[in-house]
Amino acid sequence: TDSEGLQTKIVENQTYDERLEINDSEEVASIHPPTPRPKGLLGSAQLPDKTMADNSSDEYEEENNKEKKKPSQLTPQRGFSENDDDDDDDSSETDTDEDDDDEEHGAPLEGAYDPTDYEHLPVSAEIKELFQYISRYTPQMIDLDHKLKPFIPDFIPAVGDIDAFLKVPRPDGKPDNLGLLVLDEPSTKQSDPTVLSLWLTENSKQHNVTQHMKVKSLEDAEKNPKAIDTWIESISELHRSKPPATVHYTRPMPDIDTLMQEWSPEFEELLGKVSLPTAEIDCSLAEYIDMICAILDIPVYKSRIQSLHLLFSLYSEFKNSQHFKALAEGKKAFTPPSNSASQAGDAETLIFS
Amino acid sequence: MMLSRAKPAVGGDLPHADKRKKKGRKIPKLEELLSQRDFTGAITLLEFKRHVGEQEEDTNLWIGYCAFHLGDYKRALEEYESATKEENCNPEVWVNLACTYFFLGMYKQAEAAGFKAPKSRLQNRLLFHLAHKFNDEKKLMNFHQNLQDITEDQLSLASIHYMRSHYQEAIDIYKRILLDNREYLALNVYVALCYYKLDYYDVSQEVLAVYLQQIPESTIALNLKACNHFRLYNGKAAEAELKSLMDNASSSFEFAKELIRHNLVVFRGGEGALQVLPPLVDVIPEARLNLVIYYLRQDDVQEAYNLIKDLEPTTPQEYILKGVVNAALGQEMGSRDHMKIAQQFFQLVGGSASECDTIPGRQCMASCFFLLKQFDDVLIYLNSFKSYFYNDDIFNFNYAQAKAATGNTSEGEEVFLLIQSEKMKNDYIYLSWLARCYIMNKKPRLAWELYLKMETSGESFSLLQLIANDCYKMGQFYYSAKAFDVLERLDPNPEYWEGKRGACVGIFQMILAGREPKETLREVLHLLRSTGNTQVEYIIRIMKKWAKENRVPI
Repeated sequence: TDSEGLQTKIVENQTYDERLEINDSEEVASIHPPTPRPKGLLGSAQLPDKTMADNSSDEYEEENNKEKKKPSQLTPQRGFSENDDDDDDDSSETDTDEDDDDEEHGAPLEGAYDPTDYEHLPVSAEIKELFQYISRYTPQMIDLDHKLKPFIPDFIPAVGDIDAFLKVPRPDGKPDNLGLLVLDEPSTKQSDPTVLSLWLTENSKQHNVTQHMKVKSLEDAEKNPKAIDTWIESISELHRSKPPATVHYTRPMPDIDTLMQEWSPEFEELLGKVSLPTAEIDCSLAEYIDMICAILDIPVYKSRIQSLHLLFSLYSEFKNSQHFKALAEGKKAFTPPSNSASQAGDAETLIFS
Repeated sequence: MMLSRAKPAVGGDLPHADKRKKKGRKIPKLEELLSQRDFTGAITLLEFKRHVGEQEEDTNLWIGYCAFHLGDYKRALEEYESATKEENCNPEVWVNLACTYFFLGMYKQAEAAGFKAPKSRLQNRLLFHLAHKFNDEKKLMNFHQNLQDITEDQLSLASIHYMRSHYQEAIDIYKRILLDNREYLALNVYVALCYYKLDYYDVSQEVLAVYLQQIPESTIALNLKACNHFRLYNGKAAEAELKSLMDNASSSFEFAKELIRHNLVVFRGGEGALQVLPPLVDVIPEARLNLVIYYLRQDDVQEAYNLIKDLEPTTPQEYILKGVVNAALGQEMGSRDHMKIAQQFFQLVGGSASECDTIPGRQCMASCFFLLKQFDDVLIYLNSFKSYFYNDDIFNFNYAQAKAATGNTSEGEEVFLLIQSEKMKNDYIYLSWLARCYIMNKKPRLAWELYLKMETSGESFSLLQLIANDCYKMGQFYYSAKAFDVLERLDPNPEYWEGKRGACVGIFQMILAGREPKETLREVLHLLRSTGNTQVEYIIRIMKKWAKENRVPI
């Protein structure tokens, strides 16, 4: 079988060669670029191109032979994009079947049992007769199935299409050069619409616009600290640019410096033993505000808003004071509402009439 | 008078020191935002103006323009649709609306709107591309003839070439235009895209670098770079490129998000495919193919087939996948029709000029010949790229079969043994072919062990027949006799007795020839005795007699 198989192989090789030859000529005509072949392709260097190139000298002869023997077993292919159907497969299949027959029921296998090897054994006639049983059974030729495990391609990344110049022009008709000087794509640095709106509002002094503003929310905020930082940064930048809010209290209020004076020593001593009432205390928010303001010597009039403003101004004063910052490192007696960002936010929404 | 002034009053650089703050403090102009391609900012500005009544002319058209170039086609559509409903609407708006419909994949509407617009080059380009979408070759030629030798028209034509896989033609156009317009940097990216599609990844990288040098944060260019890295190196390298792109983008940047999500699945070897890809099918052309690949890798052939059966293939990748799915399904169902379709697709791709020298192309040719059972040809192709697939189970599974089928059982055995996948190792194809290789390579004991490890089934019965007959053929009578003995017990077919009888006598002959140890005779007698046949006594008598004469204990 082996030697026969080899001979058949030669014929098939020829067809194979022929096909490549035809492809090559076509390749020159259109499909392949004239640039040097990069490594991404199977370059000729890496390939056992011998099998394809060796017979090229006698391709014509072989072609003719082949055409007589095996018409169109492997048809020349057109350029891929042409996409033509080829209908020559039936003939090729029948060819194959013949090949199979040849190979499978041919000469004996290499290393197969051969009774003549054992004829010389010096045995009795009786045993010799017994040996006949060996040849009396002819082992079956069992055809095994084949199974192609198809080569599953790699996943395919998407690069998108090329600009087709189906783009809307500027309403004023000026050239925008998009797709020419630069790709027609937005820059990765896009303004945050909310921040920009705030800027615009701030700049135009039309505060009522803010109320209609869409504020986006951030999904999976915990996974996106960058977005949060950017937001905080841009909002505080916005606030830094504003003039500090000055508030004119309608009723007399003590000034900050007075409020920042030390408490009496007895009171300080007491604070060592008793802590200030926390927000957990069982009372309403209004009562709590009254309580805290009283402790801090801030008067409360009819509305608590101005008193609260003074309270937070006082807090902010302490917080920004270098002197107290150093002091506060150790003991944090008073832990009022959260961080600077929300503080700034609160201030933003306060409207005094 | 002040003479000791240290800081220049004019042109000092101090106020510019913090550029960011400066930028923030100033209210941007529309023109600035547009030139920075900050279309989100531009829309915000325009909306603000509209809101506070600083309405200038055509604000809606400007918003439409910005939304369009931002890639927010839905928003652009809103603006243009409302614009076309206005009474004294500029008829030019119709072509804008048509373009927007086009990018939303609403081609019928795009055509309708396009016809309402006055004749223009843009309109012609649009109708040209629509004809391509509708596969209307006649119209395509018509509009093609209307294209002029001006840059935009030529670029539009190149884009059609690209979509029709005529990459070289596209490159020719780009290079010609670049020759006269060096400053058209974007064209380098188009050329790089073509080279990418032609599998010239490092050439693509080179051309792309020209653009990235000037505009390092370009999304399209960086995505292409990532794809080149994927092809040249691996998914990790590619993901790194995408990551830097995502890290640098501001959070309000939405452009190409789908593309990036899609490619992350690709670069991560299919991770998250079922979450990300299904909604992208028919949005990103590759999404469907990747989902098919994912299902194939999960061995879910039916699902893969459902996804691809209605796809009309146009690209090599699509032909290959259709071939692969048909081959897998055809073999699973034993359907010759599917196998034939597969074989035709494989032949088409593998024989095409553009694919015949690529690995996928050669895989196709190998697969094609495999389905045709021309294993010598299979080997020629597999050998040509085997160095890339040394440890690949799928490759080795096919390669070993081809080796064995062409009679090279020693290499066949070697390659079969490289396979790691347990699933493949339990496949009857694997077991039967490996058993045959073992027997041909004079290792019948190993074949017998393969049988012993199997559970009783139709397949184990078939394997016994294989061992019994192949061993017989090769004169390995001991295992042949053992196999026939089991077969005979499972199925009292006289043929199995004949085989066993011959094999037992064969062992006896081998003992006489000194090729089997004499002690085996005892086992032979035991095997014979298990059959209730009159011939048994006769054979045993002769063997015993010989044993006695030669002092062999039995």
